[in-house]
Amino acid sequence: MSRARLPISSMLMAPPLLAILAFGLLPLIVVVVWSFWSWDPVTYWIKPDLSLAGYAGILEAGRWTVIVSTLIKAFGTALLCLLIAYPTSYAIHFLAGRRLNVILLALITIPFFTSYLIRSFSWRLVLGRAGIINDWLQAVGITDAPVDWLLFSNFAVVVGLVASYLPFAIFPLLLSMRRVDPTYLAAAQDLGAGFWKGLTTILLPLTKSGIFAGFLFVFVMVVGSSTEVQMLGGAGASIVSVMINDVMRVANYPMAFAISTIVLAVIFGLVLIGNRIFGLASLFEDQSP
Amino acid sequence: MTKHVGMFASAQHSNMQRRDFLKLMGAGGAALSAGSLSWASRAAAQDAATVAFWATATLDIGDKWKAFATQNGVAPEFTDNGNDIGPVIARLAAGNANDLFDIGGFQGGAEKELARQGLIIPWDLTKIPNYESVWQWAKDIPYLKHDGKQYSIPTVVNADSIIYRPDKLGKVDSYGVIFDPKLKGRVAMEDAWINSAIFTAMYLKESENKPIVEPGNLTESELGLVMEFLIKHKKDGQFRTFWNGWEQGVQLVADQEVDAMTGWEPIVYEGRKRGLQVEYAAPVEGYEGWGNNTVLLKGAGDRGVTDTAHKFVNGLLGGFYGCELGQARGYLVPTDNNLTYAKAHPDEYKPDEVGKLAEHVKAKFAGKVYWQNTRPDNFQLYEEWWQKLRNA
Repeated sequence: MSRARLPISSMLMAPPLLAILAFGLLPLIVVVVWSFWSWDPVTYWIKPDLSLAGYAGILEAGRWTVIVSTLIKAFGTALLCLLIAYPTSYAIHFLAGRRLNVILLALITIPFFTSYLIRSFSWRLVLGRAGIINDWLQAVGITDAPVDWLLFSNFAVVVGLVASYLPFAIFPLLLSMRRVDPTYLAAAQDLGAGFWKGLTTILLPLTKSGIFAGFLFVFVMVVGSSTEVQMLGGAGASIVSVMINDVMRVANYPMAFAISTIVLAVIFGLVLIGNRIFGLASLFEDQSP
Repeated sequence: MTKHVGMFASAQHSNMQRRDFLKLMGAGGAALSAGSLSWASRAAAQDAATVAFWATATLDIGDKWKAFATQNGVAPEFTDNGNDIGPVIARLAAGNANDLFDIGGFQGGAEKELARQGLIIPWDLTKIPNYESVWQWAKDIPYLKHDGKQYSIPTVVNADSIIYRPDKLGKVDSYGVIFDPKLKGRVAMEDAWINSAIFTAMYLKESENKPIVEPGNLTESELGLVMEFLIKHKKDGQFRTFWNGWEQGVQLVADQEVDAMTGWEPIVYEGRKRGLQVEYAAPVEGYEGWGNNTVLLKGAGDRGVTDTAHKFVNGLLGGFYGCELGQARGYLVPTDNNLTYAKAHPDEYKPDEVGKLAEHVKAKFAGKVYWQNTRPDNFQLYEEWWQKLRNA
């Protein structure tokens, strides 16, 4: 039986596998290979080489600090998103009734209907010198003058990033919570476990794949973002994608590919480690009996 | 007219047609020479009046291209090039831009580089009679010629300086305001070395007598001097932010985030529309002049459409285009033909306004102007310094 199925399943698998290879793996391989090529001022393009100039350039002009600060921003934003997303998902899944559930899900989804640009821009109107928060702070007498650091600062960037990418943490968490058999929690309660005991010994371990998936989604989105940093960051604030854009503008393609390669390696490593520790793949496993 | 609507299809489509037609010419030459008024000959007539124009969105007049085509006998298929010269050059040198487009409309400065690589070819001014009417100072833009040949035609010109709030600062007439410690955190510059480095260099050259020869094309040591100066001020917290794009620029002024910033004049008009008291400075150090110039792409020569391209550029300088661009966007084509056209068509354009715009821009260029340069000799070093500034 299984012998007969094998060719059919292989045939069914072939198109998506080919698509993943063509649209996913191949471009990544090209990026890695081209990162070792060198720029040719005559043709204005890159030529085959085995040069580390692109990587060496990352150590100059403080470029490596942008990579590090991007990873820190991504890590911090992903953690913050999880801290907000977990109780939110819990409330949606376990506490809200069906109608409220739908309303809350709609509220979370609404940000997807606007562009990142519009969302970031609206934060400028909220956090700016003449923005809603500064107006309120002065109106109630907390401050005498507008607080400058609310906008064009790392604080503003993190606010913008969390607001933009929070749904990416909520949905995998919801997915993982839906896979938790409610009888486990009921049984724990029957045996006298309180809320925290149930949370730490049952819910958190059973949703760890969702936690990591949410973390990973936000992390990856932040690493690839630029709008929030450019709109809300201070003078010249940078992030990896802004830096790649900068070097592409002056035709330094090998360096752009080298930066991308490093970021890819970090993300790929993170996925491997996460899968090992948190069982990321289990989130997508079939639970049917 | 229906034909012209068809001409506004994508540039790629157009050039496919053109290449297909050339193939047909080879294969069916005998049939054509027999004088048959076939589909192919009608297509040839249509193609002869079409050029693929790959330019900054600034140069687009949208639906008015139809009227332009009617007047000049040549219709452009307009494609926005994104106004970022880095990717534009890359696409010309290593991509397919020369296969797709006939004429480019780029911010000035890259012509030398493009000509040296053979990506653009010279214009024949004898085929552009309207070039005679271009104002002399626009003809003197330093990037138009290379090796004595005319590689680009000034199509839109203007000059930038400082947007400021006179109610807060009084009259401003120097870029010194941007670096004034008293205005710490109340000023901004653009997040682009193309503009911010030259503004700073102009200030250091003219007001602080620093040894800078050409602010638009800094040597390695001059660039170091300029960028160290910017880095010091950034570290001191002088800049509220570096702004990006039109709406961000407007918002900085409109929401009173800054009292002064280097930037584009239309931001002043937008600020005033929103009820703010905003002025545009005439700095003692001069303006940053910029030109959006049209270049003839090598591909046009390969495809044998250079005559049509010349006809098109001649049309850009003919008056109608200048009137339309001035009315729609406030940009100026540097020729008196605009005013002549407006006077001849007062029902379409107001001669007073056309004249006023011309005088306004001319007045800027009557003083000191340093030209924006999108491709200075040390352009990769500019980027490296800009990174240092970002990370300072």
